[in-house]
Amino acid sequence: MQIPFVNLARQFNNIEKELVQNFIDIGRSGGYIMGEVLETFEQNTATFLEVKHVLGVADGSDALFLIMHALGIGEGDEVITAPNSFIASAWTIVATGAKPVFVDVDQDLNINPKLIELAINKKTKAIMPVHLAGRPAKMDEINAIAKKYNLFVIEDSAQAIGARYKGKRVGGLSNAAGFSLHPLKNLGIYGDGGLIATNDDILYEKLKKLRNHGLINRDECEVWGFNSRLDTIQAAFANTKLKYLDKWNTRCHEIATIYRNNLIGVEVPVDQKWEYCVYHNFVIKTKHRDLMMQYLKDNGVDTRIHYPIPIHLQNAAINLGYKNGDFVNTETFSKTMISLPIYPELTNEEVYYVIEKINSFNTK
Amino acid sequence: MSEVKNFLPEQYLQTGKLKINHNYLNDQFSDLDEIWLKIREVVLRGDFTLGSDVDKLEEEFSIASGAKYAIGVGSGTDALFLSLKVLGIGEGNEVITTPYTFYATIGAIVTAGAIPVFADVKDDFNIDPAEIERKITNKTKAILPVHWSGNPCDMEAIEKIALKYDLPVVCDACHAIKAEYNGKKSGSLGTLSCFSFHPLKNLNVWGDGGIITTNSDEIADKLRLLRNHGLVGRNDCKIFAYNSRLDTIQAVVARHLLKNKIDFITESRIKNANYFDEKLKNIKQIKIPNRDTNIKQVYHLYQFTCERRDELQEYLVSNGVDAKVHYPIPMHLQPAANFLNHNKGDFPKAEYISENTISLPVHEFITNEQQDEVINLINNFYN
Repeated sequence: MQIPFVNLARQFNNIEKELVQNFIDIGRSGGYIMGEVLETFEQNTATFLEVKHVLGVADGSDALFLIMHALGIGEGDEVITAPNSFIASAWTIVATGAKPVFVDVDQDLNINPKLIELAINKKTKAIMPVHLAGRPAKMDEINAIAKKYNLFVIEDSAQAIGARYKGKRVGGLSNAAGFSLHPLKNLGIYGDGGLIATNDDILYEKLKKLRNHGLINRDECEVWGFNSRLDTIQAAFANTKLKYLDKWNTRCHEIATIYRNNLIGVEVPVDQKWEYCVYHNFVIKTKHRDLMMQYLKDNGVDTRIHYPIPIHLQNAAINLGYKNGDFVNTETFSKTMISLPIYPELTNEEVYYVIEKINSFNTK
Repeated sequence: MSEVKNFLPEQYLQTGKLKINHNYLNDQFSDLDEIWLKIREVVLRGDFTLGSDVDKLEEEFSIASGAKYAIGVGSGTDALFLSLKVLGIGEGNEVITTPYTFYATIGAIVTAGAIPVFADVKDDFNIDPAEIERKITNKTKAILPVHWSGNPCDMEAIEKIALKYDLPVVCDACHAIKAEYNGKKSGSLGTLSCFSFHPLKNLNVWGDGGIITTNSDEIADKLRLLRNHGLVGRNDCKIFAYNSRLDTIQAVVARHLLKNKIDFITESRIKNANYFDEKLKNIKQIKIPNRDTNIKQVYHLYQFTCERRDELQEYLVSNGVDAKVHYPIPMHLQPAANFLNHNKGDFPKAEYISENTISLPVHEFITNEQQDEVINLINNFYN
């Protein structure tokens, strides 16, 4: 059996008819930039996320960058985040001119709130937790610290659309949140796209201008801005898929449960009672990582590592002055983690095949 | 209620209220099925991010525009921004450009951290090389000429100044796909050239998109890092950098147009512009810019300056002709430019053009009969 890590064609085949209709409708309308279709999608997503405002932007990185830029974060400031994420998380801080300051993660792969206070100094302007792999960070603890030190909180929700923390969707648990609609995300489009979610009216108005050249009408520019818009055709695709998102996330959760209940000899992710993880990735930990990956590959199971080189050890981060040994959990996990295939269209048969291979490797 | 109205859709959607539209997107994609089949292949391959169609477009575009390399990016604005960044331009630097342009030109300079320094334009609406030289200081790090409406700037003079002061030239060629200057294609002018595939451009995709051309190996390599998180492999990040990629499905649309339509689009626009020139040149209230025979301008816009501009625009619109103004307020007088402390009168030519220019529909779907109707209306107005 061959089990690819992702299989976007299956999802496409299931809803192709609707997507073709989106394509034809937008194609014929000539309305390729912004417009009602985008606004409808933004409103639907705001309802879904239980927030006041949602704005479509060009990609997930832009979402986080624009939020921080609009909050006035820049040169000389520091923003606290996790070192085990996709590099874009730290990059968005660098892009504003600020310095990313890393804090190690807990067993759940998310930033450890107990360590955040140690990293705060008078330059600190914000905390940017990452809801990694679809699992909410410990927002109550993080928000309490932010309140104590008067800091902004920005949720990097790129991998976590639909996840819940104490009953509430992530994205509405901070000043603002950035989501990614990259093709591999739980709500994925056919190109780059992102979303900003916020309950802050003033921030929303500011961001609305910043994403579109700072224009207040066709002929007047109030602030020099960016061009960071979600393509209307991609918004149409996303709007079609949004209807299925809860169903898809539920299925990912179900697959995760099957994995958890049946895998032996590896460390599986645990769900706390206050959280609903949407399993963008299902990350197991094992001491025999490389051998197991090879064994799975030989048996047709495609796996990945998210991520093998922590951000603080990337070449790009040399100027930040970190070294090996600075973040023990992050560094250990980068050598023991494997992400297993997990997507709604995966059949139970396929899931059990993966389980069987892992278990047979471990009992060999 | 939001203070920022969404004004954009009006520009793209044909309302049916006007007979002769600036916009033609509904007519343009009559071959939807063909494009969908190609996009479908991309989707089934899962080839979304910098997929093979982007590679192919880059190769084809570099040939079509006369450059060694072309690098697809998120938009024309990003093309300008990344071009400045790849040259190391930022905080404290000055970039010389024209005050008569679209906001994105200035937005790219300011968001890169640099200060826009304006040099007034000539009667051809393009930056005046003599003015450029007067504006050079020890903080100047680049010259950014805009080939306005698809009409290449006086590049010989600009290149000479650039050479003298050892400055790179970033061409805003967002309007100028397929334009030529002294037989040189627009992608080969300057150190880098930035193109836009925005839906209203001559070569347009179904959303935002752009491309940068250059002959420099070093610049091309660095741009590929800058547009994609600085990644040299899936897991190796060499430098922290932006995410600004041309979507693969948009590259499919761009390839389709580049192969099948751009020559027709370009030639039709030139033909229509020449027709307008010929029929309007004797109206004394109108001043058509000089047409330089060494230049192939591609008429992204067809513009002239005229007396009683606002009244003429109103008259044309009320008679079903979608006449527009690109743009009524020059950059130095925008609210966003307050921090530069410019006043009215600082750039008289740019101001004159902004106050007196009008744009007529010139795209490939306009017929001679429609052009005659526009011409008659203009004649009637001035008589």
